[in-house]
Amino acid sequence: MTPGIEHFLTVGALLFCLGLAISLSKRNAIGVLMGVELMLNAVNLTLITFSRFAASPNPVSGHTFVVFILTVAAAEAAVALALAVAVYRNRETIDVDRLNLLRS
Amino acid sequence: MLFLAAEPSAALTPTIDQAVLWAIMGCPLAAWGLIALYLRKLPAIAGYAAILGIGAAMLLSYVTLFNVIDASGGVAQYTREWFTAGDLTVPIGVRVDGLTAVMLVVVTTVAFLVQVYSTGYMQGDPGYGRYFAHMCLFTTSMLGLVLADNLFQMFIFWELVGLCSYLLIGFWFHKPSAAAAAKKAFIVTRIGDLGLLAALLLVWTRAGTFDVTAIQEWAASGEAKSALVTLFALGLFAGAAGKSAQFPLHVWLPDAMEGPTPVSALIHAATMVAAGVYLVARFFPVFEASPDAADVVAWVGAITAILAATMALVQTDLKRVLAYSTVSQLGYMMLSLGALGYVAAIFHLFTHAFFKALLFLGSGSVNHATNTFDMQKMGGLRKHMPVTYWTFVIGSLSLAGIFPLAGFWSKDEILLDAWRHDRALWAIGAVVAFMTAFYMFRAIFLTFHGTYRGGEPVDHHDPDNHFHGDPAHPHESPWAMKAPLLALAIPSIAAGWFAYDHMFKDFIEAALPHEGHHGSSFEIGIAVSSTIIALAGIGTAYVIYIRRWVDSSSIRATFAPFALVFERKYFLDDLYEGLFVRNIFYRGWCRLLETVDRRIVDGVVNGIGQVGRAASSRLRAVQVGEVQSYGLGVAAGVIIIFLAVIVANPL
Repeated sequence: MTPGIEHFLTVGALLFCLGLAISLSKRNAIGVLMGVELMLNAVNLTLITFSRFAASPNPVSGHTFVVFILTVAAAEAAVALALAVAVYRNRETIDVDRLNLLRS
Repeated sequence: MLFLAAEPSAALTPTIDQAVLWAIMGCPLAAWGLIALYLRKLPAIAGYAAILGIGAAMLLSYVTLFNVIDASGGVAQYTREWFTAGDLTVPIGVRVDGLTAVMLVVVTTVAFLVQVYSTGYMQGDPGYGRYFAHMCLFTTSMLGLVLADNLFQMFIFWELVGLCSYLLIGFWFHKPSAAAAAKKAFIVTRIGDLGLLAALLLVWTRAGTFDVTAIQEWAASGEAKSALVTLFALGLFAGAAGKSAQFPLHVWLPDAMEGPTPVSALIHAATMVAAGVYLVARFFPVFEASPDAADVVAWVGAITAILAATMALVQTDLKRVLAYSTVSQLGYMMLSLGALGYVAAIFHLFTHAFFKALLFLGSGSVNHATNTFDMQKMGGLRKHMPVTYWTFVIGSLSLAGIFPLAGFWSKDEILLDAWRHDRALWAIGAVVAFMTAFYMFRAIFLTFHGTYRGGEPVDHHDPDNHFHGDPAHPHESPWAMKAPLLALAIPSIAAGWFAYDHMFKDFIEAALPHEGHHGSSFEIGIAVSSTIIALAGIGTAYVIYIRRWVDSSSIRATFAPFALVFERKYFLDDLYEGLFVRNIFYRGWCRLLETVDRRIVDGVVNGIGQVGRAASSRLRAVQVGEVQSYGLGVAAGVIIIFLAVIVANPL
């Protein structure tokens, strides 16, 4: 049996849900970041899937989109890790539960 | 004589250039601007600037008068459009005729002499410059009022003279009584002005014009319903009653004596208070067309005349005697207008302006010597102040109506018109004439005869005190004050002689749009009877206050209830203050407004604020500052939207 569009999409959806669950539940900021990365890649997978299977007049656009997201994700990871380091230097913790200074 | 060139019934158009008419207004206005902008701190020049400006206006007024005499009192009018707003076209213009010319001469002459007098009387006052600025502005406004050729323009100047009156009554505004009197004058006249404003709106909506001649013709033509004309006339009269201190709006004028005495002479005796009479005279054909309104005018005038005269009987303040006398004489003029004695009313306005200004200035001169207006502290001033005494006597004789002084002629015409119109009006007029003679000579005997009772000691510790003389040794006033007294004594004697050969009558009547008989000239029976009445009044005063055959206090005791009513001003002040102001206005209306303001207006504003605060205090709980909670919220929101879309669009 050849895997069809529904298989790819299911995997993408599962990955996205996993990523969401991780980023909402992890206390460690690095863990939250990893969850975010997972969600981004789940989206990438979904885009590629549609680009491959849907009768799009311009199939390249899906691929292009993915490449852009990868680039942005890399930049985001760099910025976020730098933030994590900066926060740790200031607060000596990267536990997101304790980073609640904006509380009313 | 002046008027011999006049051909009766052949009124021409005066050839006077309109630039002259505008300049009459412009000269005092320029003086006002100059003083207000540059000379307030230079009192030495401010007085002369005022004299110069008003003097120039006076000369131009005489030029105008002679020009109008050449035209036998005909009408000249120069109008242009001022502005248009929708259907409303407001003209601006000047109009001159016999009535205007007489008013111009009266206003500028009295104003000029009062300015001269003021340079002496107001000497050393810290508000000297401000005083002359206000006086110039007043003169401008008053001249604008008499020159106006339409009701709208008249209304503007009408309010301006009211403003100047307010400013000048409250000239010594640091005295609480003066500030209160100024407010009282402003508010009470404003009640009457409401009627004038209503009349203005009525005539605009129904006649579609503000022009004086057009309104006169509109009322006389009969094309308007008579009820409408009556309403218009009563509105005009309400305004006039406020300005001219007619019952029941007369209460402000006696209090207005808080202002400087020359102000009282100019504004509250000679000119502004006569503006009401002028207004009714200007629109005389309207009152002719409405007999009901004319009757109201006549009876209000009669009631005013007698009420004020009775109150004048018991005053101990010299200036207040004159104030009530003014109210009484204004009532006389209104009585005359209501009895369709147009000429007599204006003639009395003309003569009264001179002798009443003279009397006020005389009382100021007395005050200058004694530091008081209380007649109980005067007496015997005849020897110390001969010029003041004799001019005061001339003014009083004229006011009492003794032949051949000015007041005799004009008062006689009024009594004659009243006699022909309604005997009851004549009877009231005769009683008032008796009282007038009595209270004026009571004032003279108390002030100038007998022995001097010391005046009011000067309080050198009072910072408001600017009195320089020595009340214990009264002295005659300086020439700046004596000269105007002497100058005013001349018209007080002679102004009545213009009645000769109907000169004044023909001149004044030419201002009306149609021929008719508006009053009479002379009848020997009335003249003799009124002279006897006046002499009786003087004699009574002589018997009581000089001969002392009867003690004045025993008379007061005999008629105690009457004296009380007179002294308490018929309880009208108590009625207005106690009932209308305190109870109806403060306790009723103001309390109601306060409740509305506090409960409804403030309630809405505070309510909006409280809703916001309550909502935000609930919403604060949501903002916990944990980024994961927000993320959960976002995810939950997305899921809810997703489910909602699915439910709304089933596959």
